[in-house]
Amino acid sequence: MLNNAIRRHAPFWLSIFAGIAIWEIAGRSTSQAFMVPFSTTVVELVRLVLSGEFIRQFLDSAQLFLTGFILALAVGMPLGMLLARVPVLRIGVEPYLMILYATPLVALIPFILSMMGFGFAPKVLVVFLFSVFPVVYNTVEGARSIKPEMIEVARSFRSTEWALWRDVMVPYTLPYTMTGVRQAIGRALVGMIAAEFFLSSTGLGQLIMSASQNFDTAGVFASVLVIALIGVGLMRLGTAIEHHFARWRQ
Amino acid sequence: MSTTSIGAATSAASAAPAGNAPRKPSTFMPRFIVGAVILIGWEAVVRLLAPSYVAKPSTVIIAIPSVLTDPAFQAATGNTLAAVAEGLAVALVFGTVIGLLMGRSPAFERGFRHYVDGFYAMPMIVVLPLFSLWFGYSSGTRIATIIFAAIFSIIINVADGARAVPREYLEVARSFRSNRASVLFGIVLPASMPYLLAGFRLAAGRALIGAVVAEFFLSIGGLGYYILYNSRSYKHAQAFVGVLLLAAFGVGFELLVFWVTKRFMPWYRRER
Repeated sequence: MLNNAIRRHAPFWLSIFAGIAIWEIAGRSTSQAFMVPFSTTVVELVRLVLSGEFIRQFLDSAQLFLTGFILALAVGMPLGMLLARVPVLRIGVEPYLMILYATPLVALIPFILSMMGFGFAPKVLVVFLFSVFPVVYNTVEGARSIKPEMIEVARSFRSTEWALWRDVMVPYTLPYTMTGVRQAIGRALVGMIAAEFFLSSTGLGQLIMSASQNFDTAGVFASVLVIALIGVGLMRLGTAIEHHFARWRQ
Repeated sequence: MSTTSIGAATSAASAAPAGNAPRKPSTFMPRFIVGAVILIGWEAVVRLLAPSYVAKPSTVIIAIPSVLTDPAFQAATGNTLAAVAEGLAVALVFGTVIGLLMGRSPAFERGFRHYVDGFYAMPMIVVLPLFSLWFGYSSGTRIATIIFAAIFSIIINVADGARAVPREYLEVARSFRSNRASVLFGIVLPASMPYLLAGFRLAAGRALIGAVVAEFFLSIGGLGYYILYNSRSYKHAQAFVGVLLLAAFGVGFELLVFWVTKRFMPWYRRER
């Protein structure tokens, strides 16, 4: 058992340690302004955490992320389901959704800035815009996977609207919606950082920005490392959610 | 499993069985009506509620000819597109090679997978401050950002494709004693082409975002900076033409990849 676990995890830890070693050596052999070694980064990170600065900024970012993301789910899921149920509406809206999904929405940030200013609301709007379209788009995609015969059979058996949703619509579209949720998590994170960079500077985005403006390379590395770890964690979470629901899919 | 397609046309067509078709819904009218509702609604809301500088369909349409003929706009567009093309080309070459190695060599895969996944999961724009420390406030930083944004989705997809190559292909190759390189580039690469295209589609979208964000951050010439500059000076209609062009590029990449997949790999059904 233990032997098995070691064999399974050894390559992972080996590659992580090798990466850290390379980082440490590269950091020590170049200028401090260019790159700092892993050890310095960790020391800086510990300093940031102990000073309370990091926790404060982290909570700030988390608030922004959650508000925008939950809003995107609250709007995106019902909208997607509605489009799923009403084919005419779906056919009408689909091309526009596709366009919005494919457009780099970061380009809208300057407009949001000049119309809404520097408050919390414009930043939530950015996170919302980044994350809502994957949810809607994938839900609609799921709706297209429902065979029309399924709904017709349900109708033939005089299924109520409620039963139709419970037994056909939701089970069939939800796995796709969850693919959208996974994509939305990643995009919301990009939206969060973009909002913090280009609208009012707060949160983890500010942590990086101010470190970079002060040429504090250790600070930049420490905050980028943390955000990378948060990204990996959220991605894992998203994949887990997606897999949980994917079991329904045939 | 359904064939995924960008318009609803194919699904509408396949949904209607031959013979007693239950009145096949037309796609043009609903789309036209929704489009009209969006434009009229937008125009009305802006006219009633927003200051006059805010972009609305009527002012954007009027701005289109003058913006498209503006040499500054053309230069900015060329600038951004050249950077995106260059970054994508680099990402495509290196991403494909690394992806093939990861897909076919377990040792390589174990060593690199966590880093590739990690970098892919990282919101790509956090590297901007770091890259600007390294490469300065220059177009080098923009290229680096574009490559960083694009390469990991190519690596991940090519690696998936390389793993999915049917065993028989490789066994035949081994029977004929072909060397590693020709197996990799002669068999594994063509077999994972659909995956490569799926990765390229993702990469192109991310590259475009990377370019725009880099231009915002670095204030260097390009379409993103054109949008930023004009919206700062309250010329929202002009700036919005830039957004429309970016949307056209985004959609154009999607359609191009969709068309290539359908034209050259009709056996492949896109799942994502």
